Amino acid sequence: MLGAATRKEITALRDRYPHPRSAILPCLWAVQNEQGFLTVEGMTEVAEILHLVPSEVQAVSTFYSMYFQKPAGAHHVLICVNVSCALRGADDIVGHVERRLACPSGGTTADGAFTWESTVECLGACGGAPAMQVDHHFHENLTPDTVDALLDRLRSVPGAHAGAGATPSGPHPPTAETPPLATAEGPPAGAAPPTERAETPGPRTGTTANPRGPRSRPRRRPRPSPDDL
Amino acid sequence: MAEHRLLTKDFGTEGLQTLAVYERLGGYQGLREAFQRFTPETLVDEVKTSGLRGRGGAGFPTGMKWGFLPKDVFPRYLCCNADESEPGCFKDRKLIDENPHQLIEGLLIAAYALQVNIAFIYIRGEYFDQRLLLERCVEEARAAGHIGNDIHGSGFSCDVIVHGGAGAYICGEETALIDSLEGYRGQPRLKPPFPAIKGLYGKPTVVNNVETLSNLPHIVQRGGAWFKSIGTEKSAGTRLFCCSGHINRPGTYEMAMGTPIRELLEEECGGMWKDRSLKAFQPGGGSMQVLLPQHLDLALDMDAVQQAGSSLGAGAMVFMDETTCMVNVSMRLVDFYHHESCGKCAPCREGTYFESDLMHRLEAGACTSEELNTLADICDNMNGKCFCPLGDTATWFVMSAYKAFRDEFEAHCGAGSCPVRSGTAQLVTA
Amino acid sequence: MAADASPPMGADDGLVGITIDGKSTRVPKGTLVTDVATELGIHIPIYCSHPKMDPVAVCRMCLVHVEKMPKLQPACATYAADGMVVDTQRADVTKTREGMLEFLLLNHPLDCPVCDRGGECDLQDFAFRYGPPSSRFPITDKRHLNKAVVLSDRIELDQERCILCWRCTRYYDEITGEKELVLQERGIHTLINTFDGQPLTSVFQGNLPEICPVGALTHRQYRFKARPWDLQRAKSVCPECSYGCNINVDTRDFEVRRFASRDNPQVDDMWLCDRGRYSAESWNNVDRVRRPAVRRDGTVRDVSVSEAISSAARSLREVLDSSGAGSIAVMGSAQNTNEELWLLQRLARDVLGTPHIDHQLESFPGIGPAEHALAIADVEECSAVVVLGAEPEHEAPVLTLRLRKAATKRGVSVYRIDHDAGADAIGELPAQGVIGVIADETHRDHAARLCAELGRSHDVRRLTITREVNGRGAKDVGALPNSGPGYAGVGAGGKAGREILEAAAAGAIRALVVMGGSLWADGAAELVARAAAKLDVLVVIDTRPGPLSRAATVLIPGHAYFEKAGTVTNTEGRVQRLRAALPPATQTPTETRVLSALAAELGAAGWPADPLHVHRELVAAIPAYGLAGNGGRADFLVAATA
Repeated sequence: MLGAATRKEITALRDRYPHPRSAILPCLWAVQNEQGFLTVEGMTEVAEILHLVPSEVQAVSTFYSMYFQKPAGAHHVLICVNVSCALRGADDIVGHVERRLACPSGGTTADGAFTWESTVECLGACGGAPAMQVDHHFHENLTPDTVDALLDRLRSVPGAHAGAGATPSGPHPPTAETPPLATAEGPPAGAAPPTERAETPGPRTGTTANPRGPRSRPRRRPRPSPDDL
Repeated sequence: MAEHRLLTKDFGTEGLQTLAVYERLGGYQGLREAFQRFTPETLVDEVKTSGLRGRGGAGFPTGMKWGFLPKDVFPRYLCCNADESEPGCFKDRKLIDENPHQLIEGLLIAAYALQVNIAFIYIRGEYFDQRLLLERCVEEARAAGHIGNDIHGSGFSCDVIVHGGAGAYICGEETALIDSLEGYRGQPRLKPPFPAIKGLYGKPTVVNNVETLSNLPHIVQRGGAWFKSIGTEKSAGTRLFCCSGHINRPGTYEMAMGTPIRELLEEECGGMWKDRSLKAFQPGGGSMQVLLPQHLDLALDMDAVQQAGSSLGAGAMVFMDETTCMVNVSMRLVDFYHHESCGKCAPCREGTYFESDLMHRLEAGACTSEELNTLADICDNMNGKCFCPLGDTATWFVMSAYKAFRDEFEAHCGAGSCPVRSGTAQLVTA
Repeated sequence: MAADASPPMGADDGLVGITIDGKSTRVPKGTLVTDVATELGIHIPIYCSHPKMDPVAVCRMCLVHVEKMPKLQPACATYAADGMVVDTQRADVTKTREGMLEFLLLNHPLDCPVCDRGGECDLQDFAFRYGPPSSRFPITDKRHLNKAVVLSDRIELDQERCILCWRCTRYYDEITGEKELVLQERGIHTLINTFDGQPLTSVFQGNLPEICPVGALTHRQYRFKARPWDLQRAKSVCPECSYGCNINVDTRDFEVRRFASRDNPQVDDMWLCDRGRYSAESWNNVDRVRRPAVRRDGTVRDVSVSEAISSAARSLREVLDSSGAGSIAVMGSAQNTNEELWLLQRLARDVLGTPHIDHQLESFPGIGPAEHALAIADVEECSAVVVLGAEPEHEAPVLTLRLRKAATKRGVSVYRIDHDAGADAIGELPAQGVIGVIADETHRDHAARLCAELGRSHDVRRLTITREVNGRGAKDVGALPNSGPGYAGVGAGGKAGREILEAAAAGAIRALVVMGGSLWADGAAELVARAAAKLDVLVVIDTRPGPLSRAATVLIPGHAYFEKAGTVTNTEGRVQRLRAALPPATQTPTETRVLSALAAELGAAGWPADPLHVHRELVAAIPAYGLAGNGGRADFLVAATA
């Protein structure tokens, strides 16, 4: 059963659109926000509030890659390995993260702190390649050192979890991880230049290299909160 | 000629994301002027005069697209396509991050021209901060009376809804975007009927790109003829070019159409990095065909690039230096389309799977040269046969790369590993 | 190719001229290219397109070349336009077909030897006809999925065989509206599934394997039971209710294996309900009356058929002579054919001279053809349809799909109201057009009252959903105490079914002839037993053992529904043929021959005996049936004015 606040939010979202069904994506965000992933109960309740059949909600939810169908780690790390990032060393970042977190792409660390994956879906941060998103926020011009520093910082912070985050239509959370506005224009001053070995895209590492493997799908995307970092 | 700043002229101004600063710099004057100086019909004509073409990739004339709406059918809907996810493309994010109110003003101007009372901004799920920013700005604009009932006494009312996606490249296709916005799986629809006739909720609908809409405040304020005078005859105005890859200064650069690509690369992007030479580049994002160093003197003009066998697409330039393995780049792009295929039609769903399988084996040096013919053949079976352009474009880069770098592809066959990376093959580029 | 390749143009008759492969024709605007091709005898392979559903154009098999179009166009979603020239044989078209088949077969398991669909599979057929000779895809890289997903107790899904044509999901979306099966995941990972893997609950699931173009969705009942080429097929009518859905009865080794739908747009629109479809195997029940027998002085003796008929005639004559015609009654059942019931009512009225004839226990006061004025397909032409209670759709489930089609595709307002509700419960009815009122037999009175009320302001047409497969035919041919053949008046009339049995139990009826009574006797076993105990003569012609056969003084084995020829009439009056699908389980002649012989023994010689000859006699006697012909609708209101 969803909490009263989430139900209220879903109802409000429904009433925002000319047709209730349009609210399905934001409503699923609300469920994921509260429950950590899309539970069967959550989808059923969304269906009920939007006057749909539950199967329709699940059909929609599984189409989009950002919804989690099962629980995941406290922080979600998504590393772009599409061309622009690959040209500037994304594979090294992926390799580094894989070693650091000791689990393959698409997996969750043993301590439940991180779910990470590499993705070919371009994140739209090509100007700051290599780039990744952590808990929705962009981090650009990555080097193994900056990644290490970030992971260390995140590990010491409890994940934004059920109900703790901003509502989908809520205020802009002022977190330290919001990217500085200039990053897309190039490396911020003082950023280490990408390493020499990162120039030519190598073979993709980890389980996602196999096109026959399960589609790597982010499992749970925690919402950032002001207390995050 | 350096950067020609129109959309980006105020970028970097402290607090531009707030209504106060935006208005201080003349923001929302375009909207007021639209109400004062134009009827919806004359505004559509003004945009036709401006020669503005869609900035989302296809380059369709915006005014003409607006003109397709059937008269007297209401309600109508307007959707801003902010589902930017073309590989190499990040200009919409930049436009939203830097100057969100410019987009909202443009959206409202378009809504007025089209007599739309509910306008949507469909923004991709990954642009989380950008969505929150837009939502905040919409509230600000609403509070200031730019959005709502009887805006500035014009008698025109419009609401703006910011709608977040949830991770699907295909939702950038306009009918898929409409499907997604209606709450379905974001899969393209059969055309006809076109969205202009039967779109969102079965009503006439226009879908315009972020950059297209961001141009409108300037066109209204300074006139269609002025806009037309920038750029080239058939490609008016400026464009934001997203430059990435092996260059010294990646980023977005606003250039007047018609500027030579070489100028963009050498002056704005600071040339190739590490004093290396250019091997190839993509002029229009992941979908578009590869171009070679000899194409650097082409003008940044939709038609000129098209004549060279590629397209400016959404204005994403990916530059690759001499060390780049074109097979690897092709593989990544094929993987992208394989990952993002919606699965609706068989040739895209199965074809990208076949392509991806083949490219992975090729990249690993485990293909026979006969299979290169197979690759070309399956690409031919996909191109032009798929339900929507996604499946078609999944073949464009790999086929153009195969054509231009045939030796490199063949060197991979039976090599056991990537010969470029291991440096065992002397490559001859076309 | 025909010499004339230019399509006829001009004449503004609402038609458009189109040429396909050199053959020209004129078709109405809005006709799909694929339908034009079919009309011209040109085959265009398609998987996703389905005649009962909107086009989606996802399989891309039907891509054809259309002049002046830069790309190949899907024939299933392209509408004929004036001057259109289509080519389905060009090299690029045939290459594309090969390419699409290669794609579709990429991950298909090619397990045809163990596939239920093998032999009637579009993927097999098109691959044979249009496909590439070999696959270039490494077999080791094929995807592997669950090959036996139990979707319900009726349906099983093989995910590997699925080619994602969307027919099943569109069926659940467009046809039933239940949306139980949906597409999940994306791209190559797309699959069809239910919400959270929950079982299907629809009562129309059985249509899924039929619309599936491959062997992905299969009937659990039929799984691994037969190959299509082993089956013998007979056209028939579903025996489960009065809706009269057209079916093919597929038998193997003298057993029914499955019912397959046989599209009749006027009736079933190609959909069957699960109750009907999955009743198939119940016809293999071996519990049958097999030998003629006569009971005399408490002992039952097997006899020959002719001996049984003579014995029946003798004992009926005795009762006739001793107690008069009024002490004899005749009863049929709603599962008898029109021909059998026709002879049965003639036996009662013309030979035995009794007015006591009926075909079921309930009585039908005030029966008349007006209560069947609304045809099933006309539901779509109504401006509104009012359905009284849940019974009509429970009785004839496929009606639900017709109502939904009318509502969703034709904009008909469908109101479902309580039995006892009046016109005020319906709300604002459209002023124009026909208002349909549909009720079941138990709420005929209410329907009549409602029609009278609505009839003051609207053009109202009624449809009573009759019970059992030939409940309507029994009434039409006059197997009723209060109505003769073609609803002719019968004067004072006789006793209705239950009254007959009660009169027998009270001793007023001395002799009873029952044909096919097992249909109603099991539900009234106590009454039957009381009646049988008192009767002097009980002649039973039946297929199943039961209270009647056990008490019979003369017992003659009957032929089951699928063992005989004849006609049955559905609830709207459509006269449809049955053809023998199984060999009879008994060596006795068919019911019409038995009745004809019985009449002869009773002195009425020269009756037709063969079902076909009986049908001719029936048609001559009932003009509405003559006008209906084979498969047409008997409209007594029209026939009366003709």
